[in-house]
Amino acid sequence: MDIKGSYTFDAPASRVWELLMDPAAIAGCIPGCRELSPLGEDRYRAVLVVPVSAITGNYTGTIAVTDKVPLQSYRLNVEGNGRGGFVRGQTAITLTDAGAQTIVAVDGQVQVGGAIARVGQRLLEGVSRMLMDQFYACLKNKAAVAPPV
Amino acid sequence: MYSTEFDYYRAATLAEAHQLLTAHPGAKLLAGGHSLIPLLKLRIASTEAVIDIGRVAELRGLTVDGDSIRIGALTTHAELAASADVTRRAQALAEAAAVTGDPQVRNRGTIGGNIAHADPASDLPIALVALNAQILVTGPRGERAIEAAAFFTGIMSTALGENEIVTAIVVPPGQRGRGSAYVKFKHPASGYAVIGAAASVTVRDGVCASAEVAVGGLVPHVVRAPSVERALLGKPPTADTVAHAAALVADDIRDEVMGDIFASGEYRKATAAVYVKRAIAAAIERASAA
Amino acid sequence: MTATTKTARVFGSGIRRREDPRLLTGTARYTDDVALPGMVYAAMLRSPHAHARITRLDTSRAKQAPGVVAVFTAADTESVLKPIPCLWLVPGSDLKLSPYRPLAKDVVRYVGDAVAVVVAETSYQAYDALELIEAEYDTLPAVTDPEKATQDAAPELHEQAPGNVAFHWVVQGGDVEAAFRSAEVVVRERIVQQRLLPTAMETHSAVAHYVPVTGELTLWNSTQNPHIVRFACSVVTGIPEDRLRVIAPEVGGGFGSKIAQYPGDFVTVFCSMKLGRPVKWTETRSENYQATTHGRDHVQDVELAATRDGQITGLRCTVWAGMGAYLSTAAPGIPTILHGLMLSGPYRIPALKEDVYGVYTNATPVEAYRGAGRPEATFMLERMINRLAAEIGIDPVDVRRKNLIPPFDDGFDVVTGLKYDSGNYVGALDKVLAHVDYRALRAEQARLRQQGRYMGIGVSTYVEICGLGPSQVAGAVGFQGGLWESAIVRFHPTGKVNVFIGASPHGQGEETTFAQIVADELGVEVTDVKVVHGDTDNTPMGWGTYGSRTTAVGGAALAVATRKIKAKAMLLTGHLLEAAVEDIEYESGRFFVKGTPDRYKTIQDIALLANVAWNLPEGMEAGLEATSFYDPPNFTYPFGAHVAVVEVEPETGRVDLKRYVAVDDCGPQINPVIVEGQVHGGVVQGIGQALWEEAVYDDSGQLLTGSLADYAIPRADQLPEIEVLSTVTPSPHHPLGVKGIGEAGTIASTCTVYNAVIDALAPLKVDAIRMPLTPERVWRALQPSREGA
Repeated sequence: MDIKGSYTFDAPASRVWELLMDPAAIAGCIPGCRELSPLGEDRYRAVLVVPVSAITGNYTGTIAVTDKVPLQSYRLNVEGNGRGGFVRGQTAITLTDAGAQTIVAVDGQVQVGGAIARVGQRLLEGVSRMLMDQFYACLKNKAAVAPPV
Repeated sequence: MYSTEFDYYRAATLAEAHQLLTAHPGAKLLAGGHSLIPLLKLRIASTEAVIDIGRVAELRGLTVDGDSIRIGALTTHAELAASADVTRRAQALAEAAAVTGDPQVRNRGTIGGNIAHADPASDLPIALVALNAQILVTGPRGERAIEAAAFFTGIMSTALGENEIVTAIVVPPGQRGRGSAYVKFKHPASGYAVIGAAASVTVRDGVCASAEVAVGGLVPHVVRAPSVERALLGKPPTADTVAHAAALVADDIRDEVMGDIFASGEYRKATAAVYVKRAIAAAIERASAA
Repeated sequence: MTATTKTARVFGSGIRRREDPRLLTGTARYTDDVALPGMVYAAMLRSPHAHARITRLDTSRAKQAPGVVAVFTAADTESVLKPIPCLWLVPGSDLKLSPYRPLAKDVVRYVGDAVAVVVAETSYQAYDALELIEAEYDTLPAVTDPEKATQDAAPELHEQAPGNVAFHWVVQGGDVEAAFRSAEVVVRERIVQQRLLPTAMETHSAVAHYVPVTGELTLWNSTQNPHIVRFACSVVTGIPEDRLRVIAPEVGGGFGSKIAQYPGDFVTVFCSMKLGRPVKWTETRSENYQATTHGRDHVQDVELAATRDGQITGLRCTVWAGMGAYLSTAAPGIPTILHGLMLSGPYRIPALKEDVYGVYTNATPVEAYRGAGRPEATFMLERMINRLAAEIGIDPVDVRRKNLIPPFDDGFDVVTGLKYDSGNYVGALDKVLAHVDYRALRAEQARLRQQGRYMGIGVSTYVEICGLGPSQVAGAVGFQGGLWESAIVRFHPTGKVNVFIGASPHGQGEETTFAQIVADELGVEVTDVKVVHGDTDNTPMGWGTYGSRTTAVGGAALAVATRKIKAKAMLLTGHLLEAAVEDIEYESGRFFVKGTPDRYKTIQDIALLANVAWNLPEGMEAGLEATSFYDPPNFTYPFGAHVAVVEVEPETGRVDLKRYVAVDDCGPQINPVIVEGQVHGGVVQGIGQALWEEAVYDDSGQLLTGSLADYAIPRADQLPEIEVLSTVTPSPHHPLGVKGIGEAGTIASTCTVYNAVIDALAPLKVDAIRMPLTPERVWRALQPSREGA
């Protein structure tokens, strides 16, 4: 499943980049994230509870940042496993300077397996998009607030 | 289909249901069980505790007060579909209930469970939004009413707070001469709405005096179609007006439309107007007849 | 003549199915209803990946879980269980067999491939413990499309099969190259016969009870062929056949999927052998969709050569048939023998060639599915005829008429080498066209088009092969067994009858129709005949119920056995009435001396006298019982003509099936109500393929239609009343003339509906849409941008 999105941040690229690389900010914005602990450089162990009320379930997995080109682009690889199955995502994230704003483009692929793929395909695209939208909406809010000095 | 283990509690009263919810954080409420139980059996959802509110008398009953209808949360789809009061005053809701799932689902599934589950392709929410219904809930902070349009916030996500329970749905009286209708494109397997459209229209003095239109199955939750509504207001209810207005539904869906292997977002967006058109036309016909 | 009054024959009467009361009242007993003292429950851990190396499989935590009796993996089973044999080794096809292990070892090859089994005191505990097995995988690239699997870059499933080609089989007749060189018209199409999920109402199920002290196994199994299961189970588990009893109790549909020998069955047997306790395993529905075999899955490139006036001169095609990850029991025979040999259909086609590639893919194994190979052949032909008709501007009915084989009643040789038994294809076509008033339908279509409405008419003529089949032919085409059937007819002293058959009906109604055969032949009441089937301990060997063969072959065995009874009754009557056997006549249940019909013996008299044996002729054995092992001299070839009428809504792409008419010829009908029911079910399953059904895998090999919420089987409210008519052309070689009707509807209906939809859209220049014809697919075909696609 392909997943694409574009999010306009009211902040310069430097600020957006800083947020995107900040584990605390990310952990605070990943929907349902209960824990994000470092596993090494640019690799994290994540524990999350899918925040869709009927489909609650614990997932544990890893998040890795690769191919970093500061202020411009990086790749985010996510792997998670839970009772409902597994999720793997590879996304390319690109930042584009637009004056006072920064456009963050997300272009990725998500593979889902197990019961959620087998019996939940009807909602997969929608849930993926909803969670991604929530994540970037949260980050946009953080970006709009002036960073602590 | 074997769920994980959970404890089962049956509440006799609403107060007891609230006590049980407080005592068992993360517990799931069970009413008709037609959304929750399949998820548990597939192990897509799991829970430590299930609180059965299916026999709470306070949540039952369908009453007409003045011209508004109060529908207890435990009212089944079959009861809604068969109710002369609902059909007379809120036909879109009766129609939506009549085409939900299959007879087993309609006989067991409840309106409260349906809306609390908030499946994005569910029928009842679409009709409720077009009818300007209010959702009554009780919780730790007491009772409150939520506009249907504000109740549904995402895929299986609602404005319900922690430990709040849906108690009833109130459909307010429409203007005199209102007609309403619900039209869906039913998924051949699941029966869910691939596209669902509800319209509530009043025709007075030869023009559309009020128009509420809602669509579902497209974005994570049911939405109103204000462009469509504006294009109807004050216009004579001709086929051309309806077709022109319905075509504007695409403008009202700002988010990307969800798709799946049966019907892509592109297809849903392109054909939604057909169902909107049919719902409006049926509502107008009934409005004129009223 | 005699004084006996003529009553309506029980053969041909639409009496109620005796199976129905127990089925409709919920008292039927299926495998999952078997409950034995000390029984434990198995659950399978299945691979979530389509292709992966197993890097870790730790069952220690699961073994400690509450209620768990045992957890086994391939490491435990491999020293006991042999790989599951493929039983149709099509000769001349360069077959590449690969080990099909009951539990996957090292590598998993489809989503659902079983890697471990948990046995626990309850099913809940077993499923809980599955979650505690720590399985880790290194995923490998996967491929699920049969054509793509043969391309260079595709990942390979088995080292034994380079390029994933499991077999390559060719059927050829006439000079096809010359036909195409000199063709006035050639039409081409790529057809995708999508993968389907059989969806029997009862999922697959097994209860194994092994008794260590005797070494005997009883296996209750949801199967279409218990005797084949006994044989295969003996091969896989090493339990000798004489100590192995297989019981197919009530079986809730199979449609071909219960021909297969399943990994889960043998794993269940293994568990019982290890534990010495009865073990039950029943698939959940979503497990069923992964683990029970699928159907169809062809990619077909087809070319038809013809003259400008519509005479077919040649047919040439290449088919990539998805086999899934392993070769299931009968799988190689389906896209070859049951498909390629039927490619000329009911038409005179002087030359044809088909290349069939059976391809390994990272998907659930494919097996027979109602029609099995024949729907895929009929579709190709019927589709191409309509395409030819459109190309040359002649009505598709007229093109069919021009090419149909003229009526014949005792054999017609076709280009693939088969000899059809009897047929009157034009007769069936005439009947269906007259019934619908074809010209009036075309006129209505023209009128609706004026109004901007899109009505379509689909017509198909078909012939199928069933009554499988002569055992000599079975051997020649690589089937690892015989294809005869058997019946024992046993008269009890009171004149009541038990019939024991080797075939194993599971919904087709033979408990009723076989009783009708005995009643008709021997003059007993139909209610005095009980038909026993499905238990290898009390029924004679038989090869099973599939290929519309139970009545066509088993019914013949029964007819022959009843005639042996009749012959003995004649002898005994002659002895008792002191007349020569040549002077004994039989009519309507009475045996009498020619000319004196008032002095007679009934079959009940004979049954008593034969059983008490007080006064038998010299040398006659006691009892009234006969056995027949019937091996048919040829296949049977039912046929027919179907019409569908649809209306398509261009703005949404929705197809409304407005009318369906089937004319089928299965020879004389033993019970026309059962025939009608079989046609209804068959037609509807074929319509399902045309309009709704498809097993969808994503690029990584995940099955996305893994439940009935996404896999759309037909529902009653989507269908019109199906109008069922028939013609009667007896088979010249069958003792009762009957041919078989179980699959006919499915074979004809997919293409009939498809052709109707394409016919509806002809003014919009649409000439092909991939099945199923979902609203979106139809809508897309109608978008202006499609030229660019």
